[in-house]
This record gives sequence, C-alpha cells and structure tokens, in this order.
Amino acid sequence: MINVLLWAPLAFGLVGLFLPRRAAGPWAVLGTLVTLSVAVGMTIGFNQGDSGLQYVESTPWISGLGVDYSLGLDGLNLFLVLLTALLWTGGVAFAAFRDYERPKTFFLLMLVAETATLGSFLAQDLLLFVLFFDFMLVPFYFLFGAWGHDRTAEGGMTASGATLKMIIYTLIGSLLMLVAAIATAIISADGGHITFSIQALQEQGIGLGSQRWIFWFFAAAFLVKMPAFLLHGWMPDAYRAAPLPALAVFSGVLAKVGAYGFLRIVLPLFPEATVEFQEVVLVIALASILYGSVMAFTQTNVRLIAGYSSVAQLGFITAGIFALRADGSDGAVLQMVNHGLVVAPIFIIVAILLERTGTEDIREMGGMALRAPVLAALFLIVALATLAMPGSSNFIGEFYILNGLFQAKIVFAFIAISGVAMSAYYALRLYQGTMHNRKPEGLLSREIGWRDAVVLVPLVLCIVALAFYPQLILKRTNPSVEQTIAKVTKGSAPNGKLAER
Amino acid sequence: MNITWYIVLSSLLFATGVLGILLRRSPMVILLCLELMLNAGNLALVAFSRMVGNEQGQVFAVIVMVIAACEVVVGLGLIVAIFRRRLPLNVDDLRELRG
Amino acid sequence: MSATAWAWLVLLFPLLGSIVIALGYRALPRKAAGMIGTAAIGLAFACGVAALIGLLGEDAEARHHASSLWDYASVAGLDIKLGIYLDQLSIFMVLVVTGVSTLIHLYSYGYMQSDEGYHRFFSYLNFFVFSMLLLVLAGNFVLLIVGWAFVGFASYALISFWYRRETATRAGLKAFVINVVGDIGLVLAAFLIFRELGSFDYGPVFAKAPEVFSVNEWSVTAICLLLLVGAFAKSAQLPLHTWLPDAMEGPTPVSSLIHAATMVTAGVYLIARTHVLFALAPTAADISAFIGLATLLVAATIALVMTDLKRAIAYSTMSQIGYMVVGVSIGAYGAGMFHLMTHAFFKALLFMAAGSIIAAMANEQNIDRMGGFAKAMRFTSVTMLCGGLALAAFPLTSGFFSKDEILAYAGARGGMYLIFVVLGYFGAFLTAIYTFRLIFRVLQGEPCAEARELIETGHVAHEAPKNPATGELEDTDVGFPGPEHHIAETSAPMRVAMGVLAFLALVGGLVQVPGVDNVISDFLDPAFTGPVLAHVHPSVEWDWIGLAIGGVISLAGIWVAHWLYVANPERPRALEARFQGVHDFLFRKWYFDEAIDFLVVRPALAIGRFANRVFERLVVDGLVTGTEETVRGTSGVIRAVQNGFVRSYALLLIAGFAGLALYFLLSSS
Repeated sequence: MINVLLWAPLAFGLVGLFLPRRAAGPWAVLGTLVTLSVAVGMTIGFNQGDSGLQYVESTPWISGLGVDYSLGLDGLNLFLVLLTALLWTGGVAFAAFRDYERPKTFFLLMLVAETATLGSFLAQDLLLFVLFFDFMLVPFYFLFGAWGHDRTAEGGMTASGATLKMIIYTLIGSLLMLVAAIATAIISADGGHITFSIQALQEQGIGLGSQRWIFWFFAAAFLVKMPAFLLHGWMPDAYRAAPLPALAVFSGVLAKVGAYGFLRIVLPLFPEATVEFQEVVLVIALASILYGSVMAFTQTNVRLIAGYSSVAQLGFITAGIFALRADGSDGAVLQMVNHGLVVAPIFIIVAILLERTGTEDIREMGGMALRAPVLAALFLIVALATLAMPGSSNFIGEFYILNGLFQAKIVFAFIAISGVAMSAYYALRLYQGTMHNRKPEGLLSREIGWRDAVVLVPLVLCIVALAFYPQLILKRTNPSVEQTIAKVTKGSAPNGKLAER
Repeated sequence: MNITWYIVLSSLLFATGVLGILLRRSPMVILLCLELMLNAGNLALVAFSRMVGNEQGQVFAVIVMVIAACEVVVGLGLIVAIFRRRLPLNVDDLRELRG
Repeated sequence: MSATAWAWLVLLFPLLGSIVIALGYRALPRKAAGMIGTAAIGLAFACGVAALIGLLGEDAEARHHASSLWDYASVAGLDIKLGIYLDQLSIFMVLVVTGVSTLIHLYSYGYMQSDEGYHRFFSYLNFFVFSMLLLVLAGNFVLLIVGWAFVGFASYALISFWYRRETATRAGLKAFVINVVGDIGLVLAAFLIFRELGSFDYGPVFAKAPEVFSVNEWSVTAICLLLLVGAFAKSAQLPLHTWLPDAMEGPTPVSSLIHAATMVTAGVYLIARTHVLFALAPTAADISAFIGLATLLVAATIALVMTDLKRAIAYSTMSQIGYMVVGVSIGAYGAGMFHLMTHAFFKALLFMAAGSIIAAMANEQNIDRMGGFAKAMRFTSVTMLCGGLALAAFPLTSGFFSKDEILAYAGARGGMYLIFVVLGYFGAFLTAIYTFRLIFRVLQGEPCAEARELIETGHVAHEAPKNPATGELEDTDVGFPGPEHHIAETSAPMRVAMGVLAFLALVGGLVQVPGVDNVISDFLDPAFTGPVLAHVHPSVEWDWIGLAIGGVISLAGIWVAHWLYVANPERPRALEARFQGVHDFLFRKWYFDEAIDFLVVRPALAIGRFANRVFERLVVDGLVTGTEETVRGTSGVIRAVQNGFVRSYALLLIAGFAGLALYFLLSSS
C-alpha cells in the first residue's frame, strides 16, 4: 500500500506521456486523486496509540553499503504525507483548468515532484532520504525555469537565472548533507557493519565530537530549504519567477521537508549536539520570525508577502522543534500542516487575482470584494488563518509552539510572540490591499468561477474543519513526537521543568 | 672512458635548442630546435651508456629517435596545414586557443 | 434541561443565525435576514433566561457548573477542551449582552434598511454576539482567548463594514492590531498560568491559585499585569485606547453594540472573572484601578472639547469604563457589574439617538453644525435626554445609583482609595458637563438647516453622501446608506428599541437602591467569595451620603453646562480663546495618537524599509554576489595563464622543469 502511495504519481505521469495533449491535465488530476485516496485510507487505518512505524516496507537495496529501500508512516510524517497528497491534488487541478504549454511534460514534472516529495517524507533510510531530498529539486528546476516568468522588466532576474540561484543554494546544503550522511553511517558503524537505516543508526549512536559538525551540515541543508534567515537569498527571485500552481505546492510542502528532517533525523540521531546547539538554532529561528515578518510588512508584491510570511512561519516551526519539548514539537508538526493548508490557497488566490487585475502589486489592486463576495469570504478565512487568529488551528499550533518555548526558554518566547502581532498586520494589509478600499480604474472584479471554486473551497473547508478539531492531528502525532523528544532529553541533563504535571 | 666533453657538447646543443624555442617565431625553426634538444638528449644517453657499460642507454636513445620521428610527422603536418590555409607562420599570431 | 444545556443553546443560536444569513445572502430577502438575525439573538436571550431560572433553582453556593463538548487540543500535558463555565457572573453578562443586542438588532432592522450590505451586516452582527457570548461563557483560558479574538475580528469586520471607505479600513486595521497586542498579553498570561498551575481550566486554576501563590509574588503579579494588557486593549483604557475613537467609522448600531455596551466591557469582565488572581496580587489590582482612574479623567477632559458627536460619546464610553475598571479593581465587583449593565442601557441609547440625528444630517457628525433638533425630532430628543440624564447620574436614574455605588465602595475601603472618591466625583462633574454640552448643542438652540427642513416638511432631502473627513463620494454600491435616511421618527423597530432602552435607562437603577434592595449584588456576590475583600461593604448611611453628593454634583454639572452653552453661548468660545493651549492639547486627544505613531508605527515601518532596501541588498545578496565576485576574480587570474602564446607555455614548462631539477639536485646533495 505504501508503495502504491509513493509510486502512483510517477506511474500516472509516465502513462500520461502517451495520451493526447488535452487529456494530460485531467489524467494528472486523476493520478493525484488516486494518491490522495490512498493517503486518506492509510490515515483512517492508522493506529493512533502507536508511536512506532506503521505500513512499513523494507527491502535491502544496496547491501554492500547497507542501504535499504525502507519506507514507513508514523506520527511525524502521517499528516505531512496527507498534506502533500492534498495540496498536489489542488495544485494540479488548478493547473489543469488552465492552459499551459507542453502540458504533458508539465504534468509529468508535477507528478514526479509529488513522488519525490512523498519519498522524502516516507523514507526511513538515511541515504534514501538524501536521494529523494535532492531529487525533489529536479522537477522544480524545470518547472520554474521553463514555465516560469522572466522578471527582467521589473528589475528582477530571468526565470532560469532565479532557478539556477535556487538550485545552487539548495545544492550546497545538499552536498554538505550527503557528506554528513555518509559520515554518520561510517562513524556510527565503528568498524562493524555499515547501515543507513535510521532506526539502526538511532540505536548505534555517534560520539559528540562528530555529532557537532554533522549536526551543522544537516542543519545547513534543512535551513536552506525552509528557508531560514540568512540562507533565504534564493527565495525572492524564485518566488517571483515560479508558475503559480507549482509555487503553491512548493511553498506548501517542500519548505516543510526541512523542518521534518530536523525531527526525523537530527533530533533522534544527534541528541547531544541538538541540546548543545539548541540556543543557536533558536536564535536563527527567532531571526527568521522577526526578519520575515518585518520584510512582509513593507512588501507590495503579493508573492513576496506570502514568501516572507513563510520564512516567519517556518521560523516558528523551527523554534517549536528546538524548544525540545513534546508540546513544542506537537505544535510544530501541527503548524507544518496548517501552514501548508493556508499558503497553497493564498497562491491560488494570487493566481485568480492576477487573471482579473493583471498585476501582483497590492498598490494597484483594491476593492475586489464588491463583485466577488465568495472569493472575498474565502480569502478572509485564509487570511485569518494565516495570522493564526485564535479559533483557527494555526492558533493552536502557535500556542503549543510558544508554550513549549515559554516553558523551556522564556526570553525567546517573549521575542517570538511579537511575530504574532506583526503577522496580524501584514496579513490584514494583504487582504485589505486586494479586497477593500477603492478599485483602481480599469480593473474588473469578477466572482470566483466554479472551476477555481472546486479547487479552493475544499482547501478552505479543511482549514475550517481543522479549526474545530485540531485534536485530530495532535492525537495521532503525539506518540511519535514524545518518543523523539524523549531521545533528546534522556541522554543530556533534563531541564528542571520538563516533567509533565 | 671520460665522457665529459660529450656531456658538455650535449648540454650546449640542448641549451641552443631551448633558446631557439624561446626566441624564434617560426614554427619550422621551433620544430628544428625541438629536434636539436632531442638529439642532445640522445647524445647524453649514449655517452652515459658508454660510461656505465651496459646497453640500456642506447636502447633508450633508439626509442627516443622513434618518438622524435612520430612527433616530427605530426608537427610538419600541422605546419603544412597552416601553410595551406595561408595563416601566418608565426607562433605569436597563432593564439586562438586560449581561455 | 439543565442550566448548562441552555447555556450551550445560548451559544448556538447566534452562530446559526450568522451562518444561515451568510450562506443565504442571495436567496434571503432583506426583511427575512433582519428577522432571522434579530430572532436568533432573541432566542439566545430566552435561553439565557431559562439558564438563569435553572441557576436560581439551586443553592447560592452551588451555582457554578463546567461543561465541555469535546477535546480541542489535549496532548503533551496541555488539556484544552471546548468547555463552558456557567456561574452568576457569566449568566449576568449573557443576559446583558443578549438583551441589549436584541434591541440593537431591532434598531438595525430599521436603520440599515437602505444599505446594500444588509445581509453582511446582520451576519457579522450575529457572529459578534456569538463571539461575545463565547468569551463570557468560556470555561478555560484558551477558549477565552478564542472568544476574545473572535470579538476582535467581528469588531474589525464591522468597523470596516463600508470597506470602500479608506478611513474605515484604516480604522479597522488599527483596532485589530491593537486587539492582537491585547491577545498577546492574554496568551502570555495563559502560558504563565500553565507553568505555575498546570491547567487552563477556570475551576482548577482558581482553586489552586491561593495555594500556590503567596500574596504579591512576582509570578501572580506578572500574570495579572499581562491580563491587564489584554483587558485594557479590549476596553480601550490608557494607553491602548487609540482605536476606539477611530472605531466610530462603523455604522451607528455597531458603535452602539460593540463599542458601548458589550465588547469594550470584556476587559471589565476579565478582571472580574480572574478576581482570585487579582486578590493575590493587590499591586496589580491597584495599578489597574489607577489606570482606570486616569482613563476616566483623561477621556472626560477630551469629551469636553470634542466636536464630533459620535467620538464624543466614544470618549464618554472610555471614561465610564474607567469607572467600571476602578470598580472591579478595588473589589466592588457587584457595583462594577451593575454599572456595566446600566451603562449598556444608556450608552447604547445615546448612540442610537446620535445615529438618528446623524442620519438626518446626511452623515455630518460635527455638533457645531447641529442644533434645534428638540423640535424637529421629538422622539429622538426625548430618548436622548433620557440617556443623557442617566449618563450624567441625574438623581434616581440608573446611572445615578450605579456610579455612586462604586465610589461609595472606594470610600469604604478608605486610606489611599479616598483618591478615587474625590477624583471619581470630579469625573462625574465633568461627565455631567460634557453630556449636557452635547445635548444642549444638538437639541437646543437655533434649528440648523436640516432641522428646519424636518420641522417644516417632515423629511429631509439630501444629495449623495460624502465622507466628511476626506470629502470623497461615498460608495453606496457596496453599502452605505444613500440619500435616504432612517430616523427613529419614521421607523417603528427603531422606536421600540430606543423606547425600551430609555425606560431601562431611567428605572434600571431601582434594582440596587441602597438599603432597599440589592438584587444584583446579592446575586453576584457568591461568585466572588474570596478571602480578602468580601467583607468590605459600605454602610447604608454612607451609601446615601454618597448618593446625595453625587446628585448634587450631577445637578451642578448640568447647571454649568446650561450656563455655558445655553445662557451665555459666547462664553465657550471666549474660554477656548483664553486657554488655547489647553484646548488644543485636549482636542488633539492628549497627543496619544501622535505618540504611538512616533514610538511604534514609524520605527516598525522604518525597520521594514531598512530591511528591504539595505539589509536584503547588501548583506544577503551581498554574501552571494561577494562569493560570486571572488570566484570570478580568482578564475580570471587563472585564466590569464592560458593566453594562447606557445612560447609562454614553453617558458613555463622549461622554468618549471628547471625548478624541479634544481630541487632534486639540491636535496640529494
């Protein structure tokens, strides 16, 4: 079943190459729907008290190096997999209702990207993870580069230039991660049999000296992906160049792979180093929160507002993880799902607005709500979720994160919480700038069409449903999260107030 | 047997060849100087072989001659091709292959 | 049905009303939407009454129940359920909120008739009532925060209801951001509570607090101060009050409901609800009381010079809430809540009357242009007078009894608290003056043009409305009443609503006449049994002395207002000219807006621009372009070697070889 989940998109994509052009879009949507149903089925069948891996698939692959083809679902990646399937369905459906050049190749690339992303979430073998992590980037290189927008007229880069920048940034991190992964396996084997299985590596353990540099090499790769402050230079150009359906899934899911990597690999495998560098990473996370929020304030390009907002949100998620408490990491996992659910609709709405107004600058937009009340209502719900308004699931995610941070390192919590006030400002500014105030001359406001509604409404309904019951996700992710955090805190001297009351 | 003078002659020939390569501009002359250097080497090899007493040096000298012959063929072929295309026969002007 | 079941229904009806109207906005005709909205709140009020009856059937000590529906977020030690807490305090708030809301819905039914956004209005209004009820009924701090934020959102949505008006959207954004600051205070307080007491639910928290905290320990003081941040942001107390005057951009029913009767009282409710914590942190309680006192005075002074009718009433609200805050901070919970109730009556009424007058004036809100409506709009004037009398604490009105009870309590506590008595009465004096300044200006005197037209023809004709602040034409497509106007004289629902409120404003105080009956205090006091202050009660004699003083002050204030604004109309201008500096200071609202702009808004935007222009370009891109330049430079140097000169290659070869040979020669010797 897990193999079907992983390879179905790729299979559909390859078959789609042989279909006529006009069938490419619907066929791809079918493929993503099939993947989604498998994911939903696995979620329903998920045993929620179990903290270990379920739906495990493990066969030796490169036995000389100890690499296995091993996949599994547990509390950490269950909802990320579901999110991936859901967002890809939405993104591909959105793209299918529009005309793209060379559609067969476009949808093949989108589906390959889905497989690669699912693979990095499902992989339980270190080298397999690295492989899928790097492979994720390939289809996006082509998608952004060939179907993207040149921004040279506005003083930006060409699409291929922006993509190249993104690739180089990510690749440097990935290279470091590859070195670190190999080193982990070899050092951990300590002369014995080399294995890359994450479970086995957890049990074997590594000395603190090696842990230090390996931690930073992995952290480099993951921080670039999110992106975190100082390593985010690729983000503005890439976000401006990308085609919107691809950007929706890119921003919604890929950024989370970095955060997930911390939880899956770094915390369990390098616990002592994690504790030692906790504050450094927290500082980086805090800087991301503040910098991302401050940048989002004054941006006028809607893509960049969403992009910098993502930097800030991923900063929150990182802070939640590095509070090194179960509640912080529970919140982080919940927030990964929430943020993905929120950011994809934002980019879909950006696309809808672009079609109506021809611009992505909020200074040139306004007053769209008049003839488009449904669109305005949907956008309002999404905007409120973005600013983590209490009552939304995003609030509970942030609440858990900040509570964890507060109980662990109180000063960081006080600084991080200012990000909440700033997010209120920029999210509402985005909403008001597009929907409220006077409509500039020549702009046509049109209600959302049924095609776009079919894509947008289910996503918004998910946001609303989760708002009523975030426990749905928390209950299933908590056992695995507790297990991961236990690994970090058991070895090192625990913080006095970590004991559950 | 005292081979000093042979070595001196060999080094003089070698030095002449080196100077020729560095100072002359015609590819033909450079090729000739290259030959001069090779033969200087040959001379030294044969002299040393006489000094040491075995035949290894002389064998090596023969091999060098073979190499020289091959190299001359390629070099002359290049020069003829250059000449046929009416390019200037001047190493300073033939510099398109650069970074 | 049990009382808590009725309480859940109280929550359900407004939410349903909101959703039904929102989903059916195309299908439902206007009247239906209005009726559904009003009925929903009416039903909620009925259920509230039923819950009250249920509670009254129990012993006074047992009248508190917690009830929860499902686990909201309960992992990793945090146990947050969707739960409510029903006790005397919450049912009191429920009844005040639903009661006044029903009347305001009725009023809006008529007032908003010609507004294009009618359905949206009622949907939002219902949602607001739902949020306020959620806030009041919440059984744990997280749900309180959820209700708090929903109320803030509803307030934003209704302030910027006419969303094509830039003044309105800006005001909404300002209100929302300040509200979020308050939210942050609450969230931090919740974290601290969890850290010290291990739970978010009211029951366990309030039970454990006296055991865990000693008096004035820093942690409980910190919790209370953070709660105050939230309370003051919501209740528009200093220094987080700057959003309230701007909130008058919203339609008048919104000002009436949200910014007078209900939302702004949420802070008072919060302090009352967490009284156990405040009792353990007297320093924080005192700080709260003093800020309330300061707000009371500052707002009253500003109201004295305000020329915008709605904004003047808004500052009056701020001032009266100052009284309530003082009340609940010094331990006079019953008195504070009583004033909350009476204030809801007369303030909502005042806004409604103001709405009528402003509609007749084609949205002109400057009282300098008004006058003589007493003859033009009889009904509105009478009701406005009722509200004004109650606000000025005219003897035997509701405001009379409620305001003075707070001050009597302060007097009974003695010591430092006598400051509150003195300054409180001074504030009452100012209140009477500014209230009747408004009333005399608007109702008395020469009828202005609109009033004359009303007297002569019975209706007013207006041209297309313009935004008084910016002068741009209002957008009636999206909403904003057109040239028609809806005044109480012509609309029966409006008359009913205002009539009921006028009646309550006049006689509502009779439930708490000292020495005669003590309905409210008797009902509420068991909810406030705490170790510290329960035994401080002013004696009945002192109560009556306080009432007498209050009555005299009120009459004195009305007389001063009359002297200034009716008898000698040129006096105010002369005074203004003489004290120009003071007048400007007050008129500019003590420069709070400017201060906040300077201290907070500008630096934030400047940092944003700095980050955008400088940091991003220099540092971040700089790192990358710097690396790029270095690589280019190095490779440029290396490229120079490959220059195409055969002879240079030969030289390099020979030189290198010679070097090697020399090296080996030397190392072997």
